[in-house]
Amino acid sequence: MATKYDVIVIGGGHNGLVNAAYLAKAGKKVVVLERRHVLGGAAVTEEIVPGFLFSECSYVVSLLRPEIIRELDLPRHGLEILPLDGTFSPMPSGDYLWRVNDHAKSIRDIRRHSRLDAEAYDEFSKMMTPMCRFVKPILSMIPPDPTTLNPKDLKQLHFLMQRFRELSSDERYTLVQLMTMSSADFLDQWFETDVLKATMSASGIIGTFLGIRSPGTAYVLLHHYMGEIDGAFRSWGFSRGGTGAISNAIADAAREAGVEIRTKAPVGKILVKNGRTTGVVLQSGEELFANVVSSSVDPHLTFEKFIEPNELPADFLEGVRRYKFRGSSGKVNLALDALPNFKSLPGPGAHLRGAVSISPSMDYMERAYDDAKYGHFSRKPYIDMVIPSLTDPSVAPPGKHVLSCFVQYAPYKLAEGTWDDQKKAFGDNVINTIAEYAPNIKDIIIDRQVLTPLDLERDFGLTQGNIFQGELSLEQLFFLRPVAGWAYYRTPIDNLYMCGSATHPGGGIMGANGRIASQVILKNWKGGSSGSTATASKAAN
Amino acid sequence: MPLGQRIAIIGGGHNALITAFYLAKGGFKPLVLERREMVGGGAITEEFHPGFRASTLAHTLGPLRADIAKDLQLENFHCEILSPDPRVFAPSPDGKALFFYNDVAKTAAGIANFSAKDAAKYTQFVASLEETAGFFTQLTSITPPAIDKPTPEDLWNLLKTGKNVRSLGKTGIFDLLRWGPMAVADFVAEFFETELLRAAIAARGIFGTALGPWSAGSTAVLLLRAAADSHPVGSAAFPRGGLGSFTRALAEAAKAAGAEIRTDAEVQHIRIKDGAVTGVVLADGEEISVEAVVSGADPKRTFFNLVDPSQLDPTFANRMKNFRANGNVAKVNLALGGLPIFSALDAAESSLKSLGGRIHIGPEIDYLERAFDASKYGEFSKAPWLDVTIPTILDPSLAPDGKHVLSAYVQFAPYKLREGNWDARRQDLGNTVVKTLAAYAPNLPGLVEHMQVITPKDLESSYGFTGGHIFHGELALDQIFTMRPILDWARYKTPVRGLFLCGSGTHPGNGLTGASGANAAREIIRDLR
Repeated sequence: MATKYDVIVIGGGHNGLVNAAYLAKAGKKVVVLERRHVLGGAAVTEEIVPGFLFSECSYVVSLLRPEIIRELDLPRHGLEILPLDGTFSPMPSGDYLWRVNDHAKSIRDIRRHSRLDAEAYDEFSKMMTPMCRFVKPILSMIPPDPTTLNPKDLKQLHFLMQRFRELSSDERYTLVQLMTMSSADFLDQWFETDVLKATMSASGIIGTFLGIRSPGTAYVLLHHYMGEIDGAFRSWGFSRGGTGAISNAIADAAREAGVEIRTKAPVGKILVKNGRTTGVVLQSGEELFANVVSSSVDPHLTFEKFIEPNELPADFLEGVRRYKFRGSSGKVNLALDALPNFKSLPGPGAHLRGAVSISPSMDYMERAYDDAKYGHFSRKPYIDMVIPSLTDPSVAPPGKHVLSCFVQYAPYKLAEGTWDDQKKAFGDNVINTIAEYAPNIKDIIIDRQVLTPLDLERDFGLTQGNIFQGELSLEQLFFLRPVAGWAYYRTPIDNLYMCGSATHPGGGIMGANGRIASQVILKNWKGGSSGSTATASKAAN
Repeated sequence: MPLGQRIAIIGGGHNALITAFYLAKGGFKPLVLERREMVGGGAITEEFHPGFRASTLAHTLGPLRADIAKDLQLENFHCEILSPDPRVFAPSPDGKALFFYNDVAKTAAGIANFSAKDAAKYTQFVASLEETAGFFTQLTSITPPAIDKPTPEDLWNLLKTGKNVRSLGKTGIFDLLRWGPMAVADFVAEFFETELLRAAIAARGIFGTALGPWSAGSTAVLLLRAAADSHPVGSAAFPRGGLGSFTRALAEAAKAAGAEIRTDAEVQHIRIKDGAVTGVVLADGEEISVEAVVSGADPKRTFFNLVDPSQLDPTFANRMKNFRANGNVAKVNLALGGLPIFSALDAAESSLKSLGGRIHIGPEIDYLERAFDASKYGEFSKAPWLDVTIPTILDPSLAPDGKHVLSAYVQFAPYKLREGNWDARRQDLGNTVVKTLAAYAPNLPGLVEHMQVITPKDLESSYGFTGGHIFHGELALDQIFTMRPILDWARYKTPVRGLFLCGSGTHPGNGLTGASGANAAREIIRDLR
């Protein structure tokens, strides 16, 4: 008789591990099952080129919830966040825009471009703070069901309405705009400098298949802006040893709490008996039994790969099929012999310690999107680069460097050919684009790793290569994420829960999803049965 | 203010006339002041070539919201509405075509030639559109609620809305929440697989906007329009004699109710003293003192051209400055020596009937999206989306015997061109339209006797649409309902005491439905009594 667990967590990504750690701390017997040989999912660091540690997918950290760092005592488990200071945007003209965390400095540099924008930038930051303050608590709340008259849900909706009404008229005006506008239109109201607007709007499209002129992107902009005010300079940063170190710290905390973690243990099937899960079967055929199964992988894998369709209500299954992934980005990781040398600001310097953003103009960003709309990777892509080795020498041999490039757009569905035969062209195109700003790049590349959306899907289990386990578009947020009526971490299968980025509040290394899910699971436990019957019926009627 | 008091109404567009009608009914003495020699604003009929008359701008009705139509009784004022069936004929370049009839089954039968699956879905689509439209129809008839101090009526409306929403059922509500912010391309893809069908329906979500079918939020625009007419492709009805006879009838109805209407009376300035209006000044210097002014002109014109900006609160002025109102639509009217023959239609007899409604030129979602792409970079579409009517088929009186008028909405044509100016590019745009049509009706170029091209600049200079926006301001998630024209001022009142808005720049805006005008009148009467 195989051992029986309280909880089986599918997937050893950061959310799965957070979920497991909290459940174990509450005294549950938990096992985490990771398909790969390493933990972390998309928050992983591997030695791809000898001597070089690549944070292959996720490469910076910003939204990791402070309460999780505190409650899991992550620093003691080896988490160390190093500052990532500023964003440097080189321009074809040979000029540049360089914003840093030192507000006054940024304003000085913006003033070189526009005196008006320098003033507006100050007001803008002042306005964004209450905006983030409004949204923050929503990140750690269980979305209410807007369709019931259930007092608990009504109370939450009322709570939101009240908080909205407590905002000043100007704050409301801005908030409503953030929720509905395109980042381009939104920023046009504040600024006139093209490169400033382009670079800021870039954070509005990350992980979506939308252009900066498409409504809804202003919200994503806010979603990313939030990181930046999360406790002073530690806001955006690297974790020492690479992003994988975050996952490892969480894993360490989980193990200490008694979690059993198994790698190379790919799940093949979720066992369901009379609408209730009883465990999982590994691809090896091994069966594991548990009261609760908590899946941190995306809805497509959970419900279309691991579960027989006939076990699920038709409308739910339709919702899962409708859920949009549409990966739109790729990753190029470079092992470098020396530092890139930017025409607009030659030589090494502090500007290389922050992010380097290839986003020279709004049209540049929009045209990059146009290519993707018609099934081609951007001929001139938006690239967000970091050189972690400058801040954390441990990730590269002495004197050598790691350059990590996030590239958008790279549509999962190509009009012609497959990603496997376009992979090289995609990588070359990124290098060539960088070369226009830092010509020495081609001479200093020791080796490179190119990750297409297809690679993200195959190697990291991100369906269609979406880095957030599903688009962060308005119709897939809050009580609509991932499936309308099922945004409560519960599923139509009793005792089966979701705890990954496909749940509210979405993607990024936040850990919030895993933490809230653990609360939901434990609450149901306290409520006698560990089943989700109560809400499931509520949500299904 | 005592009843019988005079209220100046700026502009003689359809909303202004409807406001005038209701104010007169309410016991006031509205005085409509129209800049041009004729009333109608965007709904007019003009002779654009000897013997050829066209609905210069708008070429189909909204239609009017049912309750408004009932109050106006336009049939008593010689306004005969022609309702073509099929409403829309959508040809594809390969000679195939879709027809959208009033009858669902008949339409579905045609769709079956493309896809049996879509034919089946169409019936379901019509049903769910009707359902949600019902909810939106109610929204278009209420005044957006005040967020700070909701009035008892606001709460009552919200309650009613809430009840309506709940009647949609759980799935219905969630669909509404999902659809609103969705890209209309995704919306139609949830139902259909046939590109031509998707495009013909999705087009309604981007008409007159700066959105492409792949822009999020375009579904909200489609649903807003479904409120006026829940048929998947919307209304194709127009009055005999063109849209001008519709607004002429409105004017007569308003006069009969007691309104006074003056044409060739351009208001140049709204006089304000101590934050309240005192009167209006006409271009010829005449001063008319009134205690209330209702502006049917667009919000930007009203506050930046007619009012002295120093009279405005800076926050309000700044929000108004940010009100997006740059148009993307042009209009081309052709005088034709004969009837264009569409490759997708066979026998002349049947084709005549098929061409009586609107003709949709825009065979694929990507076609529409590419047309939109051009406008993002300040260029008009090389292959534009066209919404075409040939009114002379049902109403020969508009052209000499055997000759025809072709009226085409052209999208996209951005107000701000990056290269050249609209006067220089006018001919170029017209030729592009003829070329585009020729791909579907090869004999068309040879039939053109005259071409009238109305660019976004013309819409501004000749017809008074600031930024050339036919809806007085962008219809997007951030500029509808409580945000139209701007948050805190979506209740037809303005920060200036006695100054009201009644045009398309107010909730719900959008097309010839009269909703803005009627809602405004209700608020004005309540405020002045």
